[in-house]
Amino acid sequence: MNLKSPLKIAMALCLTLALVVIPLLGSGCASVPEETTLKVGFSICYTGPAAEKGRPMGDAKLDCMKYINEELGGVNGYPIEVIWRDNEYDAAKAATIVNELISKLCLLFTTNSSKMMQASAEIANRNEFPGFAVFSTPALTNPPRHIYAQMPDYGDDWAAFANYYLENIWQGTGTPKMAMHLLNNTTGYGARDAAMVLADEMGIEIVAIEEHTTTTISEIESLTRIRALNPDVLYISSTPQPTSIIVKNAVELGMYPGITIGCGHASFTKVLVDLAGADAEGVYGVFPTVSWGDDVPAMAKMTEYCQQYHPDDYGNMDYITCWAEALIVAEILRLAIENVGVDNLTPQAVEEYGFKKLDNFDVGGLHGPVSYTPGDNRLSKSVRVFEVQDGEITPISGWVEAPLIPYEFD
Amino acid sequence: MAELLQFVITGVTVGMVYSLIALGFVLVWKSSGVANLALGQLVLLFSWFTFAMLVQVGSPIWLGFSLVILFALALGWIIERFILRPLIAQPILSLITVTLGLAYFIQGAVSFIWPKSVAALPDLFPEEPVQIGTAVVSQEYLWAAVISILLFILLSLYFRYNKTGVVMRATADDQMAVQACGIPVTRIFSLSWMLACVLAAIGGILISSIGGITFGLVETGLKAFSVVILGGLDSFLGAIIAGPIIGLAESLGGGYLTPLTWPGIREIIPFIIIIIVMFVKPYGLFGEERIERI
Amino acid sequence: MNVDLPAGTRNYSYAKDMAIFRTKTHWAWLLVALVFLFTGPLYWGEHWLSVANLIGITLIAVTGLNILTGYCGQLSIGHAGFIAVGAYTAAVLTNRLELPFLVGLISAGIIAGLIGMLFGIPSLRVKGFYLAISTIAAQFIIIFAINHWTSVTGGFMGISVPPASIGGITFISQGSQFYLIMAITAIVIFLAKNLARTRVGRAFVAIRDNDLAAEVMGVNLFRYKLLAFFIGCFLAGIAGSLFAHWIGFMNAENFTFMDSILYIGMMIIGGLGSTVGPILGVIFIRMLQQGMTFISPVLENTFSSLPAGFTTGIGPMVFGLIIVLFLILEPRGLAHRWSLFKASYRLWPFSY
Repeated sequence: MNLKSPLKIAMALCLTLALVVIPLLGSGCASVPEETTLKVGFSICYTGPAAEKGRPMGDAKLDCMKYINEELGGVNGYPIEVIWRDNEYDAAKAATIVNELISKLCLLFTTNSSKMMQASAEIANRNEFPGFAVFSTPALTNPPRHIYAQMPDYGDDWAAFANYYLENIWQGTGTPKMAMHLLNNTTGYGARDAAMVLADEMGIEIVAIEEHTTTTISEIESLTRIRALNPDVLYISSTPQPTSIIVKNAVELGMYPGITIGCGHASFTKVLVDLAGADAEGVYGVFPTVSWGDDVPAMAKMTEYCQQYHPDDYGNMDYITCWAEALIVAEILRLAIENVGVDNLTPQAVEEYGFKKLDNFDVGGLHGPVSYTPGDNRLSKSVRVFEVQDGEITPISGWVEAPLIPYEFD
Repeated sequence: MAELLQFVITGVTVGMVYSLIALGFVLVWKSSGVANLALGQLVLLFSWFTFAMLVQVGSPIWLGFSLVILFALALGWIIERFILRPLIAQPILSLITVTLGLAYFIQGAVSFIWPKSVAALPDLFPEEPVQIGTAVVSQEYLWAAVISILLFILLSLYFRYNKTGVVMRATADDQMAVQACGIPVTRIFSLSWMLACVLAAIGGILISSIGGITFGLVETGLKAFSVVILGGLDSFLGAIIAGPIIGLAESLGGGYLTPLTWPGIREIIPFIIIIIVMFVKPYGLFGEERIERI
Repeated sequence: MNVDLPAGTRNYSYAKDMAIFRTKTHWAWLLVALVFLFTGPLYWGEHWLSVANLIGITLIAVTGLNILTGYCGQLSIGHAGFIAVGAYTAAVLTNRLELPFLVGLISAGIIAGLIGMLFGIPSLRVKGFYLAISTIAAQFIIIFAINHWTSVTGGFMGISVPPASIGGITFISQGSQFYLIMAITAIVIFLAKNLARTRVGRAFVAIRDNDLAAEVMGVNLFRYKLLAFFIGCFLAGIAGSLFAHWIGFMNAENFTFMDSILYIGMMIIGGLGSTVGPILGVIFIRMLQQGMTFISPVLENTFSSLPAGFTTGIGPMVFGLIIVLFLILEPRGLAHRWSLFKASYRLWPFSY
């Protein structure tokens, strides 16, 4: 060992310190509440590959919970106790976290990623522990069990965009030809599954399905193939960075402006505009919430808390999504308390009398109304269609409801 | 047929970008025998530092680039001195795992210092794509290709004619002999790491000007592995030639095979090539064949 | 001087010489450990039981990797891919074909082992890092095949897995799965320890130390290298099958390249080439990861206004730092430290 002695001792001390402090911190997590609190669990991808979405979403949930507890005095006077963990976008960790939330007697849980929810769903379903996912995928809510989706999923995005395109943009005769460019995971393939089910009856011909990875740096080759088939519209279901590459490559190949480009909600955020620059002008997209600065009731409080606690997140659409999510959690708890009383609260009661009693709850106008209809575990089913105009994402339609798509999953 | 030209040009230029990263890997392997698994994260770190210099601090381009190069040199020295020097005689697996720990650390540090997870570098190259025949290629790729070739020529000349370069090659061959000649081997390791970090920095700047700075830069580092294997782990010429070959294979293979098989087959082609190379020419096209004697 | 046994213990028969648990103290500790493990589900909550299950599953996989890389010296950084093969085999067999859990378990192991053998064929021509690259390629090709073979594997949408059941008992709760997983883990570790002591194990070690010399001595390289791949990947397949039933929903995104690297890391930190090494390494890393999930919430709760990137960055930074520090201070792993500790304990108060 050829390090000098003091350095070696310092390193050993550092290592022991780190190893000792972590369990102490972990055990310091358990705090004894003095009064009845309503426990909810959040499984957030704060670090890891999905941190770019996970962190603002986590910030939003916690800020809103702070707002509910401090300014509104909790739900019906009872404070909400939040137990949250960082699942690092890893399925095994998500599974241990949901087990922890169950053992800590949380009443419900949420995650913000469909992959994390898939890892937690089976365990939650077996334990009848209700939860909902902000971003969902059709397999989670079909067949409907104890997992709900806060917002329409990627298949619904496609259906809504296709509808809008046929009614407002398509001006030729016959059936328009659509090419799809999909991210190689559920985000992309969710759109494809919806297209497979609905395209024929809507009157759209799918001429090409191409795939890309999150880390692609050039899609010229796949776009060349697409160009040869002369499509009228290109639908991209992906995340912002690969979408920006595809849009830029389409401009280089001369395909765009020319065809119409539509995006799913996972990629249609300000990041896309930042990365693609002027090339993104005129690109359509769907998104299930309003934009920052719109005149809706919840905007003022949300902006205030965002600027105060997490000013870096201002302008990030994911923040809006999760502020709304926390409001929905509070509403579910409120409905459950009203129906069964705070002493009879169990996860099953919260599901039966909270989730299932949601009826046109207005999340301060941040996204479409939240309702539960039997057989359909999506809580909010509407999106809006946007377009990039002058470098800004501007809404060009009202709330469009996405129909329930008859998937078949086992 | 027009597509063929487009595929070829795209493939070659994208492949040159992979070559850039592969050069950094080969450099470290050639001089110290360590497989640098943290290469992707280093590329990410230097891209972010460039962003910090150019956008956040707002320095002019020439100053920003010089600062990045200086930072790369310093970081390479620190990594070698504090992380790799203590592990000199240890089995190769420990070294590889330590670079893994380093990779996690750098990833965390990047999230720590720059919480925005995606950013775009200011435009370094003109926007209009260049027309070659019926094919188009954006200027960024062309510049990346040109710079790769330049770097390769510089590196080859350096290793051939410069005294320190020759010493580095000697160290790769036989460390004890070099030590017996009175040259401190540890200094050679420092130098090779510093150079490798500079290469990673240049590669990072070029790649992030193409696609923006995201965590995907790490995965692009993985593609460089296939380049390195095809070309030979210890050959610069191999890295430069194998890069376009892999890029071409991806482009042509993806272009013509995708309608026949599955979409996305383009991603697998480099790895299939690796397996084939393993069977046919295990040490790569230009790698040095290891002859073992009992 | 052999410090494996306390002073004064003499072996008068072959059975005693070869025993794993030789002295009364060994048996006492074994009993205590067994009691501790088997009464665990009574007072550990669901959370810690699920962590223990995860540790058990990872342990089976890393023991396989240890046989392949630690004992036989064939570096393999694609282990997550082979675990995926096992997981999907079990998922498809129990979900689509509705075969019983045990059939799924064994087939998962066999199929993963066969695929491992297939990708291990380059080991006959290359060694060291070159072979590692071939296994990395194996990982990506396997994941690609899983993602695109939609008719069988459900492609990107994943496939759900029914809970494990033997006879009439269905293992749904973490506690019941704990017994199942621990039983299988115990069998696997016992097999691995004995493998190291047989002819096959000695052949593996000979190949690792100097394969040309081994060949000269008469060890058939072809056969034994492929056998090492088969055994290593067989265990990975078994771990995969248990993993599939534990999570209940299989998706190829669960098996990333970073996971493969992490398994190698666990093995190195635990100590290569010994049976107790993987145990220590897996427990260390998994508990460290659990600690990481705590750090962000605790920091956010105590300091209400942290700079934005603080919590996102601190987890991986500390994780990487601990791995690096650990390897610098003890490159031969925890098992080495443990054996040093045992030796000093036996010789105390004499230092050596």
